[in-house]
Amino acid sequence: MSIMEYNGSAVVAMSGKNCVGISSDRRFGVQAQTLSTDSQKIFQMNDKILIGLTGLNTDVLSFSDQLRMRTKMYKLQHDRDISPQAFGKLVSTLLYERRFGPYFVEPVVAGLTNENQPFLTGTDLIGAPVFTDDFVVAGTATEQLFGTCESLYKPEMEPEELFEVMSQCLLSAVDRDCVTGWGGTIHIITPDKTISRTLRGRMD
Amino acid sequence: FFLLNINCFTGMMMAAHAPGAASASGKFTSVVENPKEARFSPYVSNGGTVVGVAGQDYCVLASDTRLSLGFSILSRDCPRVTKLTSKCCIATAGMQADTLALHKMLQYRLKMYKHQNGKEMSTDAIAQMLSITLYNKRFFPYYTFNIVGGIDPNGEGAVYSYDAIGTMEKMKYTATGSGAPLIEPFLDSQVGYKNQLIKPDRERTKDEAVELVKDTFATAGERDIYTGDAVDIMVMTADGLSVEKFPLKQD
Repeated sequence: MSIMEYNGSAVVAMSGKNCVGISSDRRFGVQAQTLSTDSQKIFQMNDKILIGLTGLNTDVLSFSDQLRMRTKMYKLQHDRDISPQAFGKLVSTLLYERRFGPYFVEPVVAGLTNENQPFLTGTDLIGAPVFTDDFVVAGTATEQLFGTCESLYKPEMEPEELFEVMSQCLLSAVDRDCVTGWGGTIHIITPDKTISRTLRGRMD
Repeated sequence: FFLLNINCFTGMMMAAHAPGAASASGKFTSVVENPKEARFSPYVSNGGTVVGVAGQDYCVLASDTRLSLGFSILSRDCPRVTKLTSKCCIATAGMQADTLALHKMLQYRLKMYKHQNGKEMSTDAIAQMLSITLYNKRFFPYYTFNIVGGIDPNGEGAVYSYDAIGTMEKMKYTATGSGAPLIEPFLDSQVGYKNQLIKPDRERTKDEAVELVKDTFATAGERDIYTGDAVDIMVMTADGLSVEKFPLKQD
């Protein structure tokens, strides 16, 4: 039994044409027991940045609160919103500060830069980042998500198509992992607005 | 004299610590007190991914050809699929030694059947025989993850999937081996049309199925280190069997 598999979660973020999407499952459980089917794993930091957190649920809540506090402090001190790149670095730094007693989370950051370009990054539990231009996956269903995303992804998708592709990727992958699922939440960030939807999937 | 002194000192220190370590916390166990024998393991994983897709009147069975051991590649062109009859093939991932032994055993049984009964074994009979052969070694299993694919006596495509001790299930599509977690959800979506409200109105043709299988291996080859080099694709129909080789990335 691994700490990262105690609660079970799945998050995937994908880039599109001047838009970026991030989606997660909705299950909250303790090993085999499901406790709720509407848990939030994606947190909004500002208009253009969303972060999805997988791993131990208690640390997901604690770490997202930390990030919310730091993002608000940044806004007060710099009189502007934090950029996605700087936010990614912030996540990395905060995690490495706990190098020998880490937060058991694996975050995925999805943001839109000032030039309306998608920005994706993911880190491991001690902050080692990976920057990709296609998609980032995290959680207990990473192998399944890698398979679906690698086959179904194509570059420069419009928001509607990105929504369809991400939904298929997430739902098909979590259906093959017993500690994830019970529906999905998906957010697409575009230059004008953020579209949020709930996905209906297998409820088991 | 100085060094001797140090040695004596440290010797005394260690003698004082050893019983302490065992009794005080019990957390730090000494190998001297609890010796562990390095056991010989009869099993090893040689990697590989195998995929089977069954259609209305065809069956596609494919496997990659990379043979690995740990982080090394032993061969880039090692076949994992064996033709059993003109209408049935078996493909196996897992340990290559057990794969070869198992395939040889099945070919022997098929040959005996053909001589004794004057006809080839049907796909469903082969599937059942494999299940029994695997369970016969329930307490020292073949380290093999098999897929049997073929045309059943009604002319329809059939794919059977197994675990190492012979649990058998007839399916429309399946994947096994190191790349299976990457491929199965994709097949659920594109062959099973799960999570799709609007399903296509016609069945996939044989050539479309082969293209899909090539896509699955390209995907697995990207993200799984044990899958790559090339893919052997066997396509079975009522008329016979055709073989195709599809190259993959060699990294």
